[in-house]
Amino acid sequence: MVASLQNLTVRYGSFTALDSLSAEIPEGCVGLLGPNGAGKTTLIKTMLGFLTPAEGGGSVLGLDIRTQGREIRQRVGLMPEQDCHIPGLNAVQFVAFAGELAGMPSELALRRAHEVLEYCGLGEARYRNVETYSTGMKQRIKLAQALVHGPRLLLLDEPTNGLDPRGREEMLDLIRTVSHGKGVNVIVSSHLLPDVERVCDHVVVVSRGKVTEQGAIARLKVIEGRPIDIELKEESPEFVRALRDLGAAVEAMGLVLRVRLEGSAEQVSATIFRTARQTGAQVRGLAVAQRSLEGVFEEAVRA
Amino acid sequence: MPDSGLIADLSYRGYDGPLLPPTHRWWVIARLGVRQAFRKRAYWVVTALSAWYYLVMMAVLFFFERAAQSAPGPRSEAGFEAFLGRIVWKDQFLHGFGFAQLLYLIAALMLGAGAIANDNRSKALLVILSKPCDKRDYLAGKWMGVFLPLLTMMLLPSLVFFLYGALSYRDYGFLDNPWFFPKFLLVLVLGAAVHSSLVIGVSSLFDQGRLAGASYAGIYFLTNFFTQLMVFAWLTAQGFRRGGGRVSGGQSPFAEYVDRLYYLSVDGLLIGLCKAILGTDGSPQFGMPSPIRPVPAPPLLPTVAVAVALCVAGVAVAWSRIRAVEVVR
Repeated sequence: MVASLQNLTVRYGSFTALDSLSAEIPEGCVGLLGPNGAGKTTLIKTMLGFLTPAEGGGSVLGLDIRTQGREIRQRVGLMPEQDCHIPGLNAVQFVAFAGELAGMPSELALRRAHEVLEYCGLGEARYRNVETYSTGMKQRIKLAQALVHGPRLLLLDEPTNGLDPRGREEMLDLIRTVSHGKGVNVIVSSHLLPDVERVCDHVVVVSRGKVTEQGAIARLKVIEGRPIDIELKEESPEFVRALRDLGAAVEAMGLVLRVRLEGSAEQVSATIFRTARQTGAQVRGLAVAQRSLEGVFEEAVRA
Repeated sequence: MPDSGLIADLSYRGYDGPLLPPTHRWWVIARLGVRQAFRKRAYWVVTALSAWYYLVMMAVLFFFERAAQSAPGPRSEAGFEAFLGRIVWKDQFLHGFGFAQLLYLIAALMLGAGAIANDNRSKALLVILSKPCDKRDYLAGKWMGVFLPLLTMMLLPSLVFFLYGALSYRDYGFLDNPWFFPKFLLVLVLGAAVHSSLVIGVSSLFDQGRLAGASYAGIYFLTNFFTQLMVFAWLTAQGFRRGGGRVSGGQSPFAEYVDRLYYLSVDGLLIGLCKAILGTDGSPQFGMPSPIRPVPAPPLLPTVAVAVALCVAGVAVAWSRIRAVEVVR
């Protein structure tokens, strides 16, 4: 586990931002989802040791969030949502400074800064003052400063903010690469569900200071009864009637039929193709039906 | 973007080198401030300019000595002895320190006005406090990043003059007081600390270095203008003889009051601090006879207390303005 939080309660005066929140954040890439004001930011602050919980506790990378904030921040890289840099420094100096702050000896920090900037696609612009960077470059340098000390956990807050489509693709590729097979765990806090779906394996949905859903995305998207979506070339009432005669629950969504049939996947698909042949229906596609991540999110927020 | 090639492997690799314990990060921040200051050409120019009194004094001493040597005889030797007799060595450091006040202000503005203000603008705290640093590290680092270059700037010229004097005028009482240089060092430390604390405090109130600089300069000059106005009023009343009316015997309560007001400004306080710690009222510059009497030194303890209070106030303002918890918004 990357982080384990038990009954975490954080209050700002009389306002309860986190209300007995419990979560187990597994290794890999995890999306932190939630509407505005849900408590995501407070959760990140608490995990970094900036806020002391009123009740409950937890650990990040095995370190106590109440007493080991500095140690946690040494092992964690944060990419903030907002543009930020150290004034007057070029990219190499900035990233090396971030490395030194994390505890790297200055020579190693400088060497590593070059490597990380190269990796983040800023190799050509490394000697330019960061203040002259474009939005996309600023996003990349924020990632570079978060990665420089080789953190075991990366916290990325809206990493694709302000990026053009190509930049967004590249940033998501970077995150995906870092979080898979490189020993870096990533928590992505984002409102962009397609981005989260693309890079993350797990999600934690926070709403009103509580975790309302968490788990592997693939598992959360599964619909109970494992229905099949059948895409037809044109509407076929005969096909629908024949399936219903076989005991199937059929839900028509335009040219797509969502069908629930008893039996194994092979048996169900064989039955569908046989019925289609008998009724003259043309099947264009067949897939196990899934909920969208948006559906999962909305359901979790409503809960 | 990440790409593996035959020539260079640019794909992501973890860092498995050493990491120092997550303590004393203030020094990393301070070191950056010192490095940035030392890289500025303007800093060295101001440092050189702040040495002007010492350089002129060294030139005066050198030429007087050369003149005495080039025309040997009891008269010229007696003249040189008389000249040296008029010189109070510790007062030369007081003058060097006093005449460089404006340059210290310029250096303080250059080093400290943007120290926190520019960080506020660029949201540098988001980066700094996401590392194993806290508010104390940040503030201590920023303070030291201004204090150390300022102290260096104040120390270098006086050190050069001290070495010159120690090597050339030991026989003329230059090293008579073994506690002189530690005392003067204390003056410089307090002077640099007052400037650093005030400019850091003002800087923390703004998110633009220029505004912070203009505000600090405004505070400096307004207080300075007020105190100079007081002194001018007193001088007008007393007939243009500085010295709190002591020249003409009994000192009026008004004159004593104005004596103290003279020190109610940033540079006035620092000069008063120097006089109080060195234990001198001052003497004419360059050892030249002058009818103008210097303003007497203020009492030591209250002056030091005011300086320390200003340091605490400046740091307290900055402390209250830095919100570590806002690292993630």
